[in-house]
Amino acid sequence: MGSTHAEAYRVIENAELVAVADLVPERAQAIASRTGATIRSAAEIIKDPSIDVIDVCVPTPLHRDFVVAAAEAGKHVFCEKPLARTLEEAEEMLEACKKAGVKLGVGHVVRFFPEYIDAYDRVHRGEIGEVATVRTTRGGFPLPTAWKDWYANYEWSGGLVLDMIIHDFDYLRWLLGPVERVFAKSTFGRDFNRLEYALVTLKFKSGAIAHVEGSWVNSGGFHTRFEIAGTKGLMDYDSRKANPINLTVNTTGGMPGVPVPTRPWVESPYTTEIKNFIDALQGKEGKIVDGNEGYESLRIALAALESIETGKAVSL
Amino acid sequence: MKVGIISFAHLHADAYADALKQIPYVEFAGIYDEDADRGKAKAEQFGVHHFTSLEEMLATDIGAVIICSANADHCYYTLKAAEAKKHVLVEKPIATNVEDANKMIDACKKNNVKLQVAFPVRYNPSMIEAKKIVESGKLGRILAIKGTNNGSMPGGWFVDPEKAGGGAVMDHTVHVVDIIRWMLGLEFEEVYAEYDTLIYDIPTDDCGMLTMELTGNIFATLDTSWNRPPSYPTWGGVTLTLVGTSGVLEMDAYGQYYQVFRNDLDKSLWAPFGGNTDLYLVKDFVDACIQDKPVKVKGEDGLRALEVALAAYESGRRKQPVKIEEIR
Repeated sequence: MGSTHAEAYRVIENAELVAVADLVPERAQAIASRTGATIRSAAEIIKDPSIDVIDVCVPTPLHRDFVVAAAEAGKHVFCEKPLARTLEEAEEMLEACKKAGVKLGVGHVVRFFPEYIDAYDRVHRGEIGEVATVRTTRGGFPLPTAWKDWYANYEWSGGLVLDMIIHDFDYLRWLLGPVERVFAKSTFGRDFNRLEYALVTLKFKSGAIAHVEGSWVNSGGFHTRFEIAGTKGLMDYDSRKANPINLTVNTTGGMPGVPVPTRPWVESPYTTEIKNFIDALQGKEGKIVDGNEGYESLRIALAALESIETGKAVSL
Repeated sequence: MKVGIISFAHLHADAYADALKQIPYVEFAGIYDEDADRGKAKAEQFGVHHFTSLEEMLATDIGAVIICSANADHCYYTLKAAEAKKHVLVEKPIATNVEDANKMIDACKKNNVKLQVAFPVRYNPSMIEAKKIVESGKLGRILAIKGTNNGSMPGGWFVDPEKAGGGAVMDHTVHVVDIIRWMLGLEFEEVYAEYDTLIYDIPTDDCGMLTMELTGNIFATLDTSWNRPPSYPTWGGVTLTLVGTSGVLEMDAYGQYYQVFRNDLDKSLWAPFGGNTDLYLVKDFVDACIQDKPVKVKGEDGLRALEVALAAYESGRRKQPVKIEEIR
């Protein structure tokens, strides 16, 4: 995600990526050569008085240390989701940012995807009436591999519920308001941890019922879906069906080519997200998913993990 | 064999009546309906005799009846038919409570007549094909299941809690539960449900989301909501996703369709071509009666599916999961 954010800073006009830090030198080098940023240690970057914003894309359990250090150095912070691994860590982060008077943005990027924004707008224009049920899907690809295989370490990542479908929890909370009750099931702890599959039911205070599916099991590659049913209509989105360009290349060996779906963006939602954050910091109109929002979405994900562990419904 | 239909309260009766007309060795002998006007109209429509009393119908030499009354009346009609030594094909759900279902099963056993519950999805060619894939072992061990049975709000007695025994959860839990039991040989152990009345001003639930624990340490969810709006291109559908250690199988029981756009309609349509499962169901039932073979979907299968719906309602009252054995 660090390299995606780096690309966003490269593209937007009102911010400049000046320095990067990464435990893996090659990765830092790749970003540096693409963006012109210098490679320095995180500690050096954080204390550099010429830097205004720190973007934190380290693994989840390390968020707190970096965010708190950045806030204490008087920097605004953009932190990748989930905000933290635990509520205690999140509270420390919010407190540090509040005390330092800096802004904290959380990378709940789904709120910047055009189809999700469009659906939000239609719901709020009343096009499908009051929302009754929502189904979302996210995943369909094998568990990502990364530094020390941290995604596979539940204590670190919280599995796909905390790392991935928190996107949907956050979107749904934005769409429908606060959650009243959570019930969740996951393959985690039952079987191969590398094949995590989770199904979560959320009951909202509005009355709406949502079903959130998350999958780190290969089912034809990453895809997302939503179906929103209301009192006056229904909306149905499937990223697998919304492919405007499908290129199939014949290979010389007579084997069938593999179609590669392409998603043409006017602007990547990751860029939109970063641009909004920077705009807001500069006093322009820009939407920030702030620390409090990140905290509330984290609460839902942690309630889902509790439900998975106890087999009981968890009230928020 | 002669077959009669008892009640056209459930809209599936029309499809079963059509099926009876299509099977060459079956004589559709007539209709009894507690609503005499409806019975007369349907008898005229299908060109068969209209019985004005149940006793009159059951006194004839018909071999079997198809019962399409409101859910709560399934028991009464089944007991009457069994006593008259008629085989019974009853619309799903088998009944609205465990006691009635047991009475029906016992009465049919005692009178040595067959009792089949109408789960046409078992006869769906896509589901049969999917079952073969499961049995081939290509998915490895099954870890989790995601099912949906969404539909439009049927209205009428379906939303009368007394006659239907519930709402969307009662109406749409049983098909997918039966398919999972049939396809995977699993049993249901625990149910959690969120349901509510969120779309229509009706006295029953219209939205339902079930989460279930099954034998084999497997979990499943099932969406039973009547949330397909009138503008939707079809009535609803049945989908099932199986997540296994070696693969994922996604099924859409009514996925064989093409789109139709007509200027005389204000919505597009999905034209299905996946086969007439109601016909296959009725034919299989009739064949079982004629050849004296076991029926494909027994009364006990209907009861197992009903138990899940009943546990879902109990879970909704407690706001926590409920063990199936607690409602037996």
